[in-house]
Amino acid sequence: MGRKAQKNDSLPGSLDMLILRTLSLRALHGYGIVQHIQQTSGDELLVEEGSLYPALQRLELNGWIEGEWGVTSNHRRARIYRITAAGRRQLAVETQKYARLTLAIARVMGAE
Amino acid sequence: MLRRLRYWMNHARRGEALREEMELHLAERAAELEAAGMAPERARAEARRRFGNAQLKHEESREIWMTRFWSELSQDLRYGFRAMVANKGFSALAVLLLALGIGANTAIFSFMDSILLRSLPVADPERLVVLDWRSRPPQNASGQWNHVIHGLQGVLWPGDKGNLESGMFPYPAFETLRENNPVFSTLFGYFNGMKHNLSVHLGEGGGGQATSASTEYVTGDYFRGLEVMPAAGRLIDSEDDRRGAPAVAVISFAASQSRFGTPANAIGRSILVDNVPFTVIGVAPPEFFGIDPAAAPDLYLPLHANVLIDGARAAAMYPNGNFYWMEMMGRLRPGVTMAEAQAALAPRFGRWVAGTATTAGERANLPALALNPGSAGLGSLRRRYSKPLYVLLTMVALILTIACANIANLLLARAAARRREMAVRISLGAGRFRVVRQLLTESLMLASLGGACGILFAVWSMRWLTVLLSNGQENFTLHAELNWTVLGVTAGLSVLCGLLFGLAPAMQSTRPDVLPALQNGRWGGPRRRAQQVLVVAQIAISFLILVAAGLFVRTLDNLHSVQLGYAREDILLFSLNARQAGHRAPEISTFYMDLRRRLESIPGVSSASFSQSSIINAGHAGGAYRGAIKVGATTVLGASVMDAGPRFLTTMRIPILAGREIDEHDLPGSTPVAVISERMARTYFRNQNPVGQRITLVDDNRDLQIVGVSGNLRFGGLKGEEKSPITVFTAASQFPPDRVTYALRTAGDPLSFVKSAQEVVREADQGLPVMNVITQAAEIDRTISQEVTFAKLCTGFALLALLIACVGLYGTMSYNVTRQSGEIGVRMALGAQRGAVVWMVLRRVLALGAMGLAISVPAALIGTRLVRSFLFGTRPNDPATLAVAALILLSAAVAAGYGPARRASRIDPLAALRQD
Repeated sequence: MGRKAQKNDSLPGSLDMLILRTLSLRALHGYGIVQHIQQTSGDELLVEEGSLYPALQRLELNGWIEGEWGVTSNHRRARIYRITAAGRRQLAVETQKYARLTLAIARVMGAE
Repeated sequence: MLRRLRYWMNHARRGEALREEMELHLAERAAELEAAGMAPERARAEARRRFGNAQLKHEESREIWMTRFWSELSQDLRYGFRAMVANKGFSALAVLLLALGIGANTAIFSFMDSILLRSLPVADPERLVVLDWRSRPPQNASGQWNHVIHGLQGVLWPGDKGNLESGMFPYPAFETLRENNPVFSTLFGYFNGMKHNLSVHLGEGGGGQATSASTEYVTGDYFRGLEVMPAAGRLIDSEDDRRGAPAVAVISFAASQSRFGTPANAIGRSILVDNVPFTVIGVAPPEFFGIDPAAAPDLYLPLHANVLIDGARAAAMYPNGNFYWMEMMGRLRPGVTMAEAQAALAPRFGRWVAGTATTAGERANLPALALNPGSAGLGSLRRRYSKPLYVLLTMVALILTIACANIANLLLARAAARRREMAVRISLGAGRFRVVRQLLTESLMLASLGGACGILFAVWSMRWLTVLLSNGQENFTLHAELNWTVLGVTAGLSVLCGLLFGLAPAMQSTRPDVLPALQNGRWGGPRRRAQQVLVVAQIAISFLILVAAGLFVRTLDNLHSVQLGYAREDILLFSLNARQAGHRAPEISTFYMDLRRRLESIPGVSSASFSQSSIINAGHAGGAYRGAIKVGATTVLGASVMDAGPRFLTTMRIPILAGREIDEHDLPGSTPVAVISERMARTYFRNQNPVGQRITLVDDNRDLQIVGVSGNLRFGGLKGEEKSPITVFTAASQFPPDRVTYALRTAGDPLSFVKSAQEVVREADQGLPVMNVITQAAEIDRTISQEVTFAKLCTGFALLALLIACVGLYGTMSYNVTRQSGEIGVRMALGAQRGAVVWMVLRRVLALGAMGLAISVPAALIGTRLVRSFLFGTRPNDPATLAVAALILLSAAVAAGYGPARRASRIDPLAALRQD
């Protein structure tokens, strides 16, 4: 009966992990997170932008991120999310899981 | 969990924030696209396209919180259910214990609710105020009456600081207070008219079958002040309540149904009340029972109608400022508090009452007005039952505590088995709160199930308690029922119990020190201590209940062994009031004498007689002589006088020591005679034969000739202080009372003669209702019903408590033996005898028992003082009772511990050692 996060495996290379990774670099608001993911992936990962928000709720509920009202770079009120200690641990777990998974897939695909 | 709770509480604000975030996102995306050269319209559409369905995402986000809560709850419930089924024995035991505990609490509380808490079924009951007065006792130091109260019809009760309180007032006081009253919108009065003979008027001079009806006399403002609406017709108003007004009556809803079929049918009908015709003008609403929860009148008559029924005696009460007989209640004007009303009226009453004092002594001790809340009606039931109910409530609360302690104990033991499971879960990342919540859900499920079964048990025990408390009383008005208040308290109690017995084990088994548990799965320390504390607590509480039960059983035993001096068995009693059926002196005495002869001729009745009241109720029934008696020049105070018919001593099996008893030859015209008790003969006629001597009842100015000496008998209640009081029997034919109690000495079950006795009475006068039909034994037991109830209930409680505590002890010892099997194995391998092992376990049992006693003996010494007033013939800290209770407790403890001890002695050393 652990903390089974919901629906966070809908995408392989899950959105949750990407959000946590992004926030582990710096605190951002929702739009900023999407921008960061798209830019750093070289626009390869096209997230349905709206899906970000349920994911943020889920992460906050699990205590992995915290949202606070703040001001964006262009001076608009927004909820700024930052990662928590538990979130960093979770990120480590997911990163590991992801690494194993991609490695396994790579093996099957005969890349190695 | 806390986070979720917070979310739950402001999820509306949360939804708003989410929407704002999404808006911002769309706006920024659109702005960026625009900056890249897109037309504003298209940029916004594109932003929306990329975002997806905003509404759907919004809902999805919210659901994440909600569904998780519910899914976890259903998960918990399913899991809890599985755990309950997996441990059927434990679950059944826990539910049973809780059902008994919660059920008993629910039953007692429902009685408290109906007696102490429930309001009168009238409009705005909280604005009603009862008027009482208090004063120092009316007797001065030398026992002489020195008070403005020259006569009283009603009850006085002891207040605090030795004061006397009462709700009775003279009529002029009512008039004084009613006039221009600034604080009450209405002030109304009433008095309990007791029983009257009621029959439906069938025509000139005749009535139907008569019955006895309880009557309330009320002033014209009574129904208006209570704001009660009639079920049919109209209610009594000021026009009806004056001298010379037409004789009208309001009857209760129940009476209208039993006499006339329907309320509407009763209107305008003529009834006879003590042979005086009245017209029924209205029917009270069904839920209305007057203002005293202890009485439910069948009949409401205007106050002044008592002149029609009681004649000159009643008429004389109205102008008399020193005769206290009517009660008052007021309805506060809007915005006026009870304290303001008290301040406004007390001086006015003070001035009035000062005017009624005639001597300096009377002026020195005047009654003072005291207002009390009237929302729950008059306090007679509260005064009578509140203390017993609080005692019972304490007991059942203690039982529930034991039950909770016991279940907590069992859960602790079970938690040991699940400790590894919990440790695994926590190390896998489950939050401690999540696990505690899971465990608490299980406890609450047990508690709810226990509560639900408890309600069933409560319904059954309420019925039983009603029987026990009413104890055969006619028209017992106390009806406890399950209402929302009671059910709410039960539900709250169940949850509280669940938390109480669930929390500690849950916290224990999820303690953060996960590692040791994972490593070896065994530990002692805090859990064992907690278990022992719980067992000691159970033992201590059981002892308290045992002591209480012991005291009450001894009390009952003492009451049962009181020497009556007269026969208890094979006597049938019933009462008649021939005056209310129209008989008057001197015919009334012939009527009673004649009836006695007819009753005596019933086959199987060896003798029949009558007296003012039953002997056990002597002094409580009205009209008994209480004044001084003169023997020569000596004044005898405190003697009891009872009017008795012929052959009374024979019927009651009271020995005749000298002379003769009162017989058929003592007639109104002949010499007035008396039979005195042995004690009186010995005290006042030491060296002479009392037969033939004379005594005088001073107040009544009656000269009597002593014709016989009776054996001593217990007069009045069993608890009377005098073992053999001074009693005087006088001839009922010579001074006929209005109301008499017949006694029939029967061969075999007295109740089998009820029919023939009633037949005889109906033949003599069909308008004369037979009241209070009861056997002598039951009549006596009725006076000690509270003691019987307490003894029975407390014995039951004590057995229950003992059983629960023993189960707890057994569980703890079994667990300890299992845990220590290795150690015991080593001891036995080293040559310890079986007996020594048994003793080792039993020693621990006795140590726990002794610890429990050490705590509860002082508690019992203090606590039992609170029940002093319930005891008879025994002291609160009766050493014998304490010793017996301690002995029972320790024996039970040893019996509970013997099983595990025996098991310990059978441990196979080899097997035990291999296990480790």
